[in-house]
Amino acid sequence: MYLADFHIHSNFSDGKLSIPALVDYFGKREFGAIAITDHFCEDTSLIGKASTYLGVTLNRATFPIYCELLKTEKARAWEQYGMMLIPGVEITKNSISNHRSAHFLVLGELEGIDPNKDITETSDQVRAKGGLVIAAHPVSTQKLEKQTYHLWDRREGLRNKVDAWEVASGPYLFDEVGRSGLPVIANSDFHQERNMTSWKTVLRCERRQDAIFEAIKKQKLEFFFYREVKRRESYHPQRTYYGGVELAHQRMGNLVSV
Amino acid sequence: MAGLNWLINGWGTWLAFKQFTSKVRLIPDDDLPSVSILKPLKGVDPGLHENLESCFHVNYPRFEILFSVSSPNDPAALLIQPLLEKYPNVNAKLIISNQEVGPNPKVNNLLASYKLATHDVVLISDSNIRVSPDYLRNLVPDLTPDVGVITAVVAGTHPNGLGGYLEASYLNTFFARWMFLARVFSFESVVGKSMLFKRSTLERFGGLKTLSGYIAEDYMTGHAMKKLDLKVEIMRSPVRQYLGHYSFSSFWKRHIRWGRIRKSIAPLAFIIEPLFFSSVTSLFFALAISQWFGFHFGLAWTIHMTAWWIMDSFLCSLIDQFSWKLILAWWVREVIAIPIWLAILLGNTVDWRGKDYRLLPGGLLEGIAK
Ligand SMILES: [Zn+2]
Ligand SMILES: [Zn+2]
Repeated sequence: MYLADFHIHSNFSDGKLSIPALVDYFGKREFGAIAITDHFCEDTSLIGKASTYLGVTLNRATFPIYCELLKTEKARAWEQYGMMLIPGVEITKNSISNHRSAHFLVLGELEGIDPNKDITETSDQVRAKGGLVIAAHPVSTQKLEKQTYHLWDRREGLRNKVDAWEVASGPYLFDEVGRSGLPVIANSDFHQERNMTSWKTVLRCERRQDAIFEAIKKQKLEFFFYREVKRRESYHPQRTYYGGVELAHQRMGNLVSV
Repeated sequence: MAGLNWLINGWGTWLAFKQFTSKVRLIPDDDLPSVSILKPLKGVDPGLHENLESCFHVNYPRFEILFSVSSPNDPAALLIQPLLEKYPNVNAKLIISNQEVGPNPKVNNLLASYKLATHDVVLISDSNIRVSPDYLRNLVPDLTPDVGVITAVVAGTHPNGLGGYLEASYLNTFFARWMFLARVFSFESVVGKSMLFKRSTLERFGGLKTLSGYIAEDYMTGHAMKKLDLKVEIMRSPVRQYLGHYSFSSFWKRHIRWGRIRKSIAPLAFIIEPLFFSSVTSLFFALAISQWFGFHFGLAWTIHMTAWWIMDSFLCSLIDQFSWKLILAWWVREVIAIPIWLAILLGNTVDWRGKDYRLLPGGLLEGIAK
C-alpha cells in the first residue's frame, strides 16, 4: 500500500519547486508514485499567449527540456526512493468564461502533445499509446481562482475520453463528482509546500506505470487525507479525516470515509 | 526616472568592477578537475590562426582540446593540422563530423566532439576567442556543485572598420553591464562564446542534442540550469573576442538577428530595453531639467550624455583597454541603438547562415521556404 499524487506543478510552470526538489520532497515522504504535470497552455487564446510571455507555463521551447529532465529524474526517483515518477502535463485551456475553460492531465505519454488540440483528439492520441487522461478540478474548487467547468458541462459526451475525474483537489472534496458515477481520483494540485495537506490517492498495486494506470481505470483506489505537520504524523491509510462522501463510498465500497 | 536608471546602471558598472577585480580561488593542482575544451570551427576569419594557437598555450594540469569541423574541406581544418604538429605535447585532436540533429549548426558541429570528450568538465569556446594562458585556472575553480554553467563577459578587441568599433563599444559597455544586471534580476544570460559546465549536468536534460533545436542554445542552457536549481555564473575576467574587420552592415545585420532572438525569448524585457539606453535616459533627464529649472534642453541632454559617456569609458577600460576611437564610436552606437531596436521590433524573421527562419516564442526556429 502506498500514497500517490498525480497532479503536481514544478518551476517549469507556476510551481515553486524544481523537478529534482519535488522528487526529493515526495520521495522522503515515502510516496510510491507521483506525476509531475506542469501547465501547458494553449497558445491560440489571448490568456494562453499572456501566460507564455509571463513564463508561467510550458511552451514549445521548454517542453523538450522538460521531457528529457523527467526521464532522468524518473530513473533517479526509482533508484533513490523506489518511487514511480510518471511524466505528465496539465493541458490548460483558459478563457474569460469559466464554462469555456478546461484543464486536463495527460499522464505517461507526452510525445507529440499539442496544447491546441482539443481533449477528444488528445485523448485518442494519448490513450492509443497507453497514456491516461484525467479531468482536473472539474467543478468549483471553492477557492477564489479561475474555475474550469467546460469538461464537466460535457461529461456525458466525454465518458469514453476521460479515464478519471478529480473527486478531490487539494483539501476539497467534490461531492458532485463523487455522486456522479464517473471514475474518480484524488490529487493535490501541488504548487508549493503548503499545498501538501490534501487528499491523496492510495494504491495497492505494483509500482509500475502500467499497473498504476490499470488500477486507476479499474478504480482500485482509496483516498486519504494527508496532513503535513512539522513532525510528520505517521501514515495510517485506515484513518480518515473528512466526511461527506457517503454516496461515493457506498457506490465504490472502497472510498475511505469517516 | 533618469535617477533610477543611473542607480541601476551605476550598480551594474559596480558589479562588473567588483567581479573583475575579485580574486580567483586557489586550488592545488592535484585537485583541479581535468577539462575537455571543445572548439567548433567553420571557415577562416582574420586572426583565427592566432586565436587557435592561443589554446595551445593554456597553462593547466590536465586538459584536452577537441577542434571540430563539419567537412574535411573546411579551410579551418587545413589551418589546424600544422598546429597539432607544432605542439605535440598538447593533447589536441581534430574531429570531422557532419551530423545534423537540429537546425543549430554550431550544436551539430559539436555533437561528435561532445561525445568523444573524455572529461566530465567541458568548456565550449568559440573560435574567435583568444584565450589567455590562465583561462582555465581562472575559470574552473568556480565550478562548484551549486553552479550549472559559467559564462563570460566578452570583450571586443582589435576592432577594425566602423562596424568593428561599434561592436566593441557595445560589448564593452552596455552588454557587459547588462550581463551582470540580468543575473541580479535572475534573467539567466549565457553567452555561448564561453560556456563551462559538467557533461553529467547537461545529461540530466538530455545532453547537447536537446539543445540542437534552439537558435540560442546558450540561453537555453542557462534556462535549463536554473530549472535544476543550479546557478549561472560569470567568469572573473572577460574573455577576448578578436573582432577584426567588420563592416557597418554586418554589425547592423548581426544586431537585428540577435535582437529578434532576444525578443522571442524575453519579449517583456525587450519592450522596456529602450528605457535603459543612454540617449533615452538623457532625454528624460533633459525634459525634467528644462521643465523644472528652465535649463536649455539640448545642453542638458549633452551634459547627461557626457556623464554617461565617462562612466562607460571607465567600464570600457576596465574590460579591455582605453581607446579614443572606441569611445568615439560609443556616441554613434548609443544613438543608433534606437533605430536598431525599432528594426528588431518590426520583424520576426532572421537570416541565419543564408537561410531564413521565423522565430517562435522561446527561441525555437521554424524554417521558411524561400
Ligand atoms: Zn488546473
Ligand atoms: Zn494544476
